[in-house]
Amino acid sequence: MDWGKLRFFLGEVFANFTRNAGMQFTAIGTVAVTIVLLGSFLYVRETIQTFGTGVLSQIEIVVFLKDGVSDAKAKDLAALLAADPRVAKATYVPKAAGIKRMQEVLGKDFDTSLLTSNPLPNAYHVRVKNADDVPAVAKKIARDPRVAKADYAADTVQKLLKTAAVLGRAGIALIALLSISAAIVIANTIRLTVFARRREIAIMQLVGATNMYIRLPFIAEGMLAGVLGAAVAIGVLALAQAQVVPKLAQTLAFVSFHVDALTLCLELLAVGAAVGIIAAWLSVGRYLRT
Amino acid sequence: MIKLRGVSLVYPNGTRALDDVDLEIEKGSFVFLVGHSGTGKSSLLKLLYREEFPSDGEVIVDGIRVDTLRRGKVPKLRRNIGVVFQDFKLLSHKTVWENVAFALQVTGTRTRDVMRMVPRALDLVGLSHKSRMFPSELSGGEQQRTAIARALVGNPKLLLCDEPTGNLDPSNTTEIMELLQRVNLKGTTVVVATHNQAVVDRMRRRVVRLEHGKILHDDERGYYFRGLGQTAVLPG
Repeated sequence: MDWGKLRFFLGEVFANFTRNAGMQFTAIGTVAVTIVLLGSFLYVRETIQTFGTGVLSQIEIVVFLKDGVSDAKAKDLAALLAADPRVAKATYVPKAAGIKRMQEVLGKDFDTSLLTSNPLPNAYHVRVKNADDVPAVAKKIARDPRVAKADYAADTVQKLLKTAAVLGRAGIALIALLSISAAIVIANTIRLTVFARRREIAIMQLVGATNMYIRLPFIAEGMLAGVLGAAVAIGVLALAQAQVVPKLAQTLAFVSFHVDALTLCLELLAVGAAVGIIAAWLSVGRYLRT
Repeated sequence: MIKLRGVSLVYPNGTRALDDVDLEIEKGSFVFLVGHSGTGKSSLLKLLYREEFPSDGEVIVDGIRVDTLRRGKVPKLRRNIGVVFQDFKLLSHKTVWENVAFALQVTGTRTRDVMRMVPRALDLVGLSHKSRMFPSELSGGEQQRTAIARALVGNPKLLLCDEPTGNLDPSNTTEIMELLQRVNLKGTTVVVATHNQAVVDRMRRRVVRLEHGKILHDDERGYYFRGLGQTAVLPG
């Protein structure tokens, strides 16, 4: 390793970077804003997804049997349910067990002393392997003559997931636009640096520096702006997480706010670097061709 | 070293800078290109280091067809050619040492070689003692010597000078011309475009006179103005 070469290169990058500090500040700020939005968007999306799929995987189809269906016929239904490859598990819950379960769930609020008879029908609790199959399986079961009703609570969850998907697409479009504007700001900043350094560039070309070599410090400059912007954004996001999430977690106790922070940070840094590199490449390339 | 065959250069605005020029320059020679401003001296030099393309004809430098050279090979060509300008083109925020080293650093020279070659170039131009100064602290002659050191630090075979004394007073001019002569004595081919009559007449070297983009005359041991009794060599 030639340390002298490295020192010279870094010196050039630093000189570039500090030459238009004001403009550089703007570029970093734009990247930061973009990435804060990207980061919070990814955060929210991941939370919704984790929550949604978590809930969906626990969804049971509750199959209420018609009154008067004999135990034997009910057992037949069990075989039929088990034959469906989409079904993971079907548990028979007779009336008595059903009421016990309700008491467990509701506790004191459920006062059985007022009941003269058990109002619950016999039922099956059906677990489905893939949450997406829940509606289809429920529909199929509902058609059986022994079945009074096949119910599941997935509607709301599914609406939530659908909304998340739509939001996802809109978010990606928004972030693409923001990334482009961030790239344009970086490109303009670098164009100013290029302009400020046109004498150096002319001399480099005169003494036989390759275009790649001339380009490199500017690429590094763009990358630096992108990464610094991303770092600022990560700082803002971390602060926001520390301030906001505990409060949200209190009110929305059932939602898990656990997100893989390291992966997210690396992703955001990579996005920042990529935006900077692409912007720099384009703006210097145009200059070197003319 | 240099061969031009039927070279014409027409700028996009229609100006005909060079018109069917044939010229040969031997390795190790010292040649003046003279003529009024706008007669194509600078254009001719630019063709040699591929700053311009000829509209017609062949340009050969050190055995390389410059006019058809691929863009990626231009840097290598230029490492073999030193170029000096009237306005020095030094970087004001870098010291003399850094300006000279810059030419090596940006072409990927190893630091060890930079440390060895820069002092040698500074010694050649007599600026070793001012290596830590900035261009603004130097006289015009010293700035031009720095530029020459930068042009020569990579040991090019060819040194092109475009009005090297245009911004200098007579004593600095003499100093620079003596330096260029010394460089030539070490084997470097030197081509100087100038309209400084005194310089040309004192040196008595080959003189190629351009007028309206054509070679008007080409004299061995010539004068700025022809017809002062010297031997004439007809252009090829």
